[in-house]
Amino acid sequence: MKTLLIPAALALLLSACGEYPQTVVYKQGEYQGKTDTRPFDNPPWNGDKAQWENDMRARGQNQNEYKRVN
Amino acid sequence: MARMKFLCDSERCIECNGCVTACKNEHEVPWGINRRRVVTLGDGQPGEKSISVACMHCTDAPCMAVCPVDCFYRTDEGVVLHDKDMCIGCGYCFYACPFGAPQYPQNGAFGQRGKMDKCTFCAGGPEADNSQEEFEKYGRNRLAEGKLPLCAEMCSTKALLAGDADVVADVFRQRALTRGKGGELWGWATAYGPGEMKQDREREQKREQAGKPQEKKEGK
Amino acid sequence: MLTRKTSQYQPASQSKGSGMLDGILPEALDRRTFMKRSGMVAGAGAFASQLPFNLIGAAEARGEPPPEGKIEVKRSVCTHCSVGCAVDAEVKNGVWIGQEPVFDSPINLGSHCAKGASVREHGHGEMRLKYPMKLVDGKYVRMSWDDAYKEVGDRLLKLRKDFGPDSVYWIGSSKHNNEQSYLLRKFVSFWGTNNCDHQARVCHATTVAGVANTWGYGAMTNSYNDMQNSKAMLFMGSNAAEAHPVAMLHILHAKEAGSKLMVVDPRYTRTAAKSDQYVRIRSGSDIAVIWGILYHVFNNGWEDKKYIEDRVYGMDKVRAEVMTWTPDKVQEACGASEAELYKVAETMAKNRPSTIVWCMGQTQHTTGNAMVRAFCILQLALGNIGVSGGGANIFRGHDNVQGATDVGPNPDSLPGYYGIAPGAWKHWAAVWGVDYDWIKKQYASEAMMTKPGITVSRWIDGVLEKNENIDQDQNLKAVVYWGMAPNSQTRGKEMVEAMKALDTIVVIDPYPSATAAMAAMVRKDGVYLLPAATQFETEGSCTASNRSLQWREQIIKPLFESRPDHTIMYQFARKFGFEKEFTKNIKVTNDEPSMEDTLREINKGTWTIGYSGQSPERLKLHMKNMHTFDVKTLRAKGGPCDGDYFGLPWPCWGTPEMKHPGSPNLYDTSKHVMDGGGNFRANFGVEREGVNLLAGDGSASKGADLQFGYPEFDHLLMKKLGWWDELTDEEKKKAEGKNWKTDLSGGIIRVVMKNHGCYPFGNAKARALVWNFPDPVPLHREPLYSTRPDLVAKYPTHDDKKAFWRLPTLYKSIQQKNVEDKLAEKFPLILTSGRLVEYEGGGEETRSNPWLAELQQEAFVEINPKAANDRGIRNDDWVWLKSPTGAQLKVRAQVTERVGPDTCFMPFHFSGHWMGEDMLKYYPEGAHPIVRGEAVNTATTYGYDSVTMMQETKTTICQIIKA
Repeated sequence: MKTLLIPAALALLLSACGEYPQTVVYKQGEYQGKTDTRPFDNPPWNGDKAQWENDMRARGQNQNEYKRVN
Repeated sequence: MARMKFLCDSERCIECNGCVTACKNEHEVPWGINRRRVVTLGDGQPGEKSISVACMHCTDAPCMAVCPVDCFYRTDEGVVLHDKDMCIGCGYCFYACPFGAPQYPQNGAFGQRGKMDKCTFCAGGPEADNSQEEFEKYGRNRLAEGKLPLCAEMCSTKALLAGDADVVADVFRQRALTRGKGGELWGWATAYGPGEMKQDREREQKREQAGKPQEKKEGK
Repeated sequence: MLTRKTSQYQPASQSKGSGMLDGILPEALDRRTFMKRSGMVAGAGAFASQLPFNLIGAAEARGEPPPEGKIEVKRSVCTHCSVGCAVDAEVKNGVWIGQEPVFDSPINLGSHCAKGASVREHGHGEMRLKYPMKLVDGKYVRMSWDDAYKEVGDRLLKLRKDFGPDSVYWIGSSKHNNEQSYLLRKFVSFWGTNNCDHQARVCHATTVAGVANTWGYGAMTNSYNDMQNSKAMLFMGSNAAEAHPVAMLHILHAKEAGSKLMVVDPRYTRTAAKSDQYVRIRSGSDIAVIWGILYHVFNNGWEDKKYIEDRVYGMDKVRAEVMTWTPDKVQEACGASEAELYKVAETMAKNRPSTIVWCMGQTQHTTGNAMVRAFCILQLALGNIGVSGGGANIFRGHDNVQGATDVGPNPDSLPGYYGIAPGAWKHWAAVWGVDYDWIKKQYASEAMMTKPGITVSRWIDGVLEKNENIDQDQNLKAVVYWGMAPNSQTRGKEMVEAMKALDTIVVIDPYPSATAAMAAMVRKDGVYLLPAATQFETEGSCTASNRSLQWREQIIKPLFESRPDHTIMYQFARKFGFEKEFTKNIKVTNDEPSMEDTLREINKGTWTIGYSGQSPERLKLHMKNMHTFDVKTLRAKGGPCDGDYFGLPWPCWGTPEMKHPGSPNLYDTSKHVMDGGGNFRANFGVEREGVNLLAGDGSASKGADLQFGYPEFDHLLMKKLGWWDELTDEEKKKAEGKNWKTDLSGGIIRVVMKNHGCYPFGNAKARALVWNFPDPVPLHREPLYSTRPDLVAKYPTHDDKKAFWRLPTLYKSIQQKNVEDKLAEKFPLILTSGRLVEYEGGGEETRSNPWLAELQQEAFVEINPKAANDRGIRNDDWVWLKSPTGAQLKVRAQVTERVGPDTCFMPFHFSGHWMGEDMLKYYPEGAHPIVRGEAVNTATTYGYDSVTMMQETKTTICQIIKA
């Protein structure tokens, strides 16, 4: 199904839009966009994934009012 | 590894639209685009239930599977994002999505679609984190600030939960055990797979058998 | 689903270009911020959709990306309801760029409803009133502040000269902070009239009067948080899920822990959707319902006999009335069956402590004062008052309606419920540092100085009533709407007639409000609009429903040309020539009176209700240390606020130095008075008809030296008890000849509480029988506009009153005429009204906020499928709602079983449509609410409470036809 759709969609894209590069090097089934950084790449974590995950878990507990009231 | 999930507790949701507004506020989403919405079943009748719905960041996301230009990606944290520069606004993801999450700005006189917009789990997009460009295309990147999605953090009754799956499950389990019923976990199996829910249930049962860690507090 | 959406809106201001922007560039803003603030990006949805291959957000970016530059965090409190949710605002370069949850707040734990989550939009203010304007030849045109003060000032001074000070009516605001509310009462007093009022009149006036006359103070006895201790909760006339959504955090938490939630209401509300039991009743039949419940309590011996014996007066008389309300009679009047009400009674009795909650569903009736008392009596019978987990949890509406009631512009009282007798005036004159005789000179006469003013619910009659019928020399000639919506008062159709007849109308508000449009619809000139700043653009304290005070920091500078309300007061005071007296004890900087000094002045004078201990310093310390407060008890454990209750809920007795912790639950004898304990107030004498009114032996607060009933303290009683010498010499000088309320040293309170553990206002019984009210035992009376003539015959209303709050007030003559005219046949549906979660009050502010406006785009009426089908109406049809006043509203039909076949419901937040016409052209350009619709109060009818002049909005009649 998908293989049928893609050429059609591509054709549409190429004919209808002048704002984007006309030649897309396309590799089917793989993400074609820009690479994203990871949320913990920036300060204050600077790549320390474990610390970021701990911080996120701690933050998540704010949603649990049972932590503050029983 | 952290796996980010949403869960809406229909026993708690009061359809206040706080989540919808928090999203508008945080990302300055324009009029007519609803990354999140509240759906009510049986409105005005006994048994009325509401649930807050947005992109569920599915484990096996149908939007990713059908996208003709492959503009979707899933982060290590399980957040499904897309590159708007690639998106052609074709709308296939909308047909594929079981939650109706993708949104399209109406464009020009013939109702063409603009580039797809959806909930980012407050994780921005592929542009540099919290850059002006990222904000303009995707909204604020709270995960990169060490914060969780604002919709859940601001939920009036803490019905909508977001974050690390283990934490979300713990929070929900504690209240479900306290009140003695779970409420329908709407969308969970569709988004994250029945397997995961089963695992959670088994883990819950094991914990209960092990030592009743969440027994009723004194004075109740 | 209630939500109504269309895909797009086209703001009319969008194409206006830059004409509206001239000269409104605030200082120190970059162009981008300027664009945003100036309204150029209003309706970004429509804007953005014009861009090819739109990147969402491109046209609506935040001022700047967050990480660079310094971001300040300012802490404030949401301005949209009385729960008191804390807000953290991220501010950069003077622009409010982000809003973060305050997880530390013991009140909201970071949570917000739609309104709270949207408050940052105040920093955009696209649809705000941007500069002073006046109506010229039917159009609003811009003017300068200087010209505005001159023109408005001269006009009002002329009216004062020609017609006396009582010819101007001042409507204050429940959205002013405490300091502004207090200053406004002082301002109006120095102008020389008691003709002032505010929103509380039409919200909870019946509560304040009814409850205060029952046991002492007319306020919520416990707190939202304390409901976590309740084992059963009965909501009647309250839809907390929409009106107080964050309260539901505590309520649903309690329910999870096993508390039973019951809702009694004409409408199956969203709160009802969360209930264990829902009982549908006929609107206006509350007393019949409550007596129906109490009947089962008495019948089964579930009442708390010891409690009644020791702490309640007059229950025997109530019992006699209640026992006549047999289940069949109850069902005839209210529609609820014996089984339903038995179950409610049983749940309340067998799950103690149990609490009750009411809001405007009970208060806004011609019998509102009696309804709230009946509810209080139920709690007294069950022994639930003065108990944690019990209480009468009366949810107030606006963010500071409690505070504005406590210290603000009331027509019958000076700040702190002191009244307006000469003694009260002398007390406040001393606090203000002005001469009593000087104030007297400002008034028309001493008689007018001690006569309660006209209420806001009736100002229109102060204009329209024949002069010989009103109890003041002249009719009203000018009205100043200082932060209140006109569409929250009934009889809108007559209101525009009154607006037409006035000499001058002044609107002081962040938004032009419906007043501007209604006035422009019927007038060509004589209307002035002055832009006030919102509470986010100033600082000060506000009082949540649970009596806790919170201090708001200023988040941003006033937008556009707006000015803080207290600055406007000061500048008018200067124009009127009393600015020196106005701010005798208050520092003024750039015409802005200090809010901190103002609070200190409030502290110095408001002993009656304990607004004396909440100094600005203590409040700010609480705001910084929210995390140290326990969520269930509201008490700080350790830290700099150790032992205090959050926000020092009033009464916070004595001076700040006395360190009273505040009172979390009123009348709680299980605690020492210095720990927040207390008892019922001795305010009604010590004996009546041979019956002792003081509390029974043994029923005093924990550790009190006097373990029995005692009267209130004054210098004589102090001397009699031998406690007088515990006062310092300094205190003795000030306290001589005074009582606990008027002793400016606070010495009497200090000695009584700290040294002897007693309560300054005495220890008496609560009154189930309020002999000074028209119905000492609450009686069911049919509304003036009833669909049931058979019940009108059985339960007729009061006799007409001649001079009541300066006006003749009709009851029986209207009710009888309605029966004779067979109105019930022509208008067979009950019309009631209520809140939507997205909007607040009259709604102009929230309907001007695009994030909220998108969620509710049209006014509608809820109608039952049976009533709809009988009229050939389908869901979403346009219908005409016709009222006996001749008004008719064009609204959408929402066909739903939320309402019964005999009832229809309209939300009260809409305005901007007038009987089918869009009023857009009557608003100032670029300053109109995004969503406009018919105001329900255009159609509402006559009817006022027999004690407080509360308006009847919850039970009137209408007919609906397909448009």
